[in-house]
Amino acid sequence: MAIHQPPTGARDLLPLDVAQKHWIETKLQDVFQRWGYQWIVTSTLERVDALVAGGSVRRDKVIQIYDSESEDLGLRPELTASIARAAVTRMAGVTHPQRLCYSANVFRKPPKGSASRQQEFFQSGVELLGVGGVAADVEVLLLLADCLERSGVADWHLLLSEAGLTRSLLEPFPQPWRDRVRSAMARLDRLAIEAMPLDPALRDRALILFDLRGRPMDVIQQVGQLDLTPDQQAMLDRLKTTVDLLQDYGRATEQTLPIVLDLSLIQTFDYYTGIVFEAISSADTGHEILGQGGRYDQLLGLYDPDGNSYPGIGFCLNLEPLHRVLSSGEKLPNQLPASDWLVVSAGPRARAAAFVYARRLRTEAPSLIRVELDLQPTVTRESARDRARARRIGRLAWVQEDGTIETETITKRKGPEAP
Amino acid sequence: MKPKGHEHPNKRCATREIDLYNRRAKPCPIPPPDRPVLTIAIPKGSLLADSVQLLAAAGLDFSVLLDKSNRQLQVTDPTGTARAMLVRNGDVPVYVECGQAQLGIVGYDVLREKAPNVANVLDLGFGGCRMSVAVQADGPYQRAIDLPAHSRIASKFVRCAREYFQSLDLPVEIVPLYGSVELGPITGMSEAIVDLVATGRTLKENGLVEIEVLFESTARLIVHPVSYRLNTYNVGGYLDALRSALAQAA
Repeated sequence: MAIHQPPTGARDLLPLDVAQKHWIETKLQDVFQRWGYQWIVTSTLERVDALVAGGSVRRDKVIQIYDSESEDLGLRPELTASIARAAVTRMAGVTHPQRLCYSANVFRKPPKGSASRQQEFFQSGVELLGVGGVAADVEVLLLLADCLERSGVADWHLLLSEAGLTRSLLEPFPQPWRDRVRSAMARLDRLAIEAMPLDPALRDRALILFDLRGRPMDVIQQVGQLDLTPDQQAMLDRLKTTVDLLQDYGRATEQTLPIVLDLSLIQTFDYYTGIVFEAISSADTGHEILGQGGRYDQLLGLYDPDGNSYPGIGFCLNLEPLHRVLSSGEKLPNQLPASDWLVVSAGPRARAAAFVYARRLRTEAPSLIRVELDLQPTVTRESARDRARARRIGRLAWVQEDGTIETETITKRKGPEAP
Repeated sequence: MKPKGHEHPNKRCATREIDLYNRRAKPCPIPPPDRPVLTIAIPKGSLLADSVQLLAAAGLDFSVLLDKSNRQLQVTDPTGTARAMLVRNGDVPVYVECGQAQLGIVGYDVLREKAPNVANVLDLGFGGCRMSVAVQADGPYQRAIDLPAHSRIASKFVRCAREYFQSLDLPVEIVPLYGSVELGPITGMSEAIVDLVATGRTLKENGLVEIEVLFESTARLIVHPVSYRLNTYNVGGYLDALRSALAQAA
């Protein structure tokens, strides 16, 4: 007989996993709504060309669907491309800013040689479209902080960078060295830069850029000492205003945003145009990447039929690492909710009355109550009580064949196993 | 959010950090840690003694690992500020990539072979060797390019071997082995091997000769990327201490 197993890397979420995931998603969704974000649902399947247009997704990382009759389709590896596509082509004429949020599954081919074969992931995130500027950046960062706080992540770090500034600071490097320095910075390969046959002054500059990380004010001061163009100075001032705003907010709310500024937190491709950030859990929870995002002011233009672009910024929270980090705390539900009532028919002729009584319990309660029917043939009332106890059900309704109904509260059995 | 951002996780050891910056190895009198501390993955074998010696120069005493009677795989520095894990050379980047160790010492050959996602920040200089192609000394091949197409190449370093022959545009068949690779050409199973050569004695004693060097290798210090960015457990301070210890030794 064939044993049917899920595909390699696939995961089933059993009821307790779902209850915990739902708990986290509910917290996040509540925060999104309190900040005025609206739900959007996009297609799980997209044209591969649309998914890779922005440059952040490589074609070979997309799980493609082969269908002889249609164009090349793939499962979405993230939501930003889909939302950008939907926003520019289907929501023309809406007023800006648009605040959109989602909770969805995404699919990615596991990297070659990686231990994990996981292909399906869950993400909750937001996109704030149509406004640039420091205030929008700060809104998104504070929203991220609010999400982590409300879901109970006690200790985390915000890694923050400015992709536009780093890109601009790399411009003095001649090609192909500019791309190589950038790639070495993104991969944190300092030795590769040390070994590059560059002019010593340029190599020193590359190493200075590589080492630009730490307390925001220290890093901003170090960048300020470089020979900056007016554009670069403006970007640095913007970054400083962002950090100042976050810290003013922190002082007013007595919460310190745990920021580390790191100008090498960049991608090897051009996608983000402004701030880039990651939310990282504490060292004792393994420094998991709980969420990431950034500003992408060129992306929407790729999907606009007339090529008009407008600014956008967003982030997503990664549910699996968030789940793992919260599992080490005490906030997540650690068991499924038990039913409130067990309705038992005392004999075959009482079954109809039992269903009717269960309906009454479900509809007449002012709030949600869970009512189960006992489906097994009942021998005695005591055996019904045992079944209720086994399922942690607090109340029992005994429906007799003459239509009388007796209810009782189930007490824990006294005995050596009782706590 | 709680205001914890930049505090050193091991608060009791704040004085220790300052000592490291000033490179005065003054032990701070605290008991072994009851919670996570800086963890360093150190490879068993040829890099072990030099690794322990270098870390001592940075104020971390793991000399117990050099004791032949030691069977412990994890030891704590007497001051309780750091822990060393003894693992196989090839496993060092696995622990560092996953973040179970924030620092690791590993040969460049392993980094080339496994291409792990780790920060590559310091060349430690010791453990010098080279990745080479070797063939039978009395055979007809002088250069790698002389090898016939579709030759068999035996190696523990499958990726390095494949990338090298791809760069020559020479199609070969790589035979993965776990050890005693020299037997490949001797038994006739393969025409050549790709392997690490330190002194060349093993090759010579087995009648083999080096015909190409793929790259030179030394021991490297690698860092868990996020810990590097966040300076977790003051890894940056230890890097500075190691860098000046190396500069002094040079």
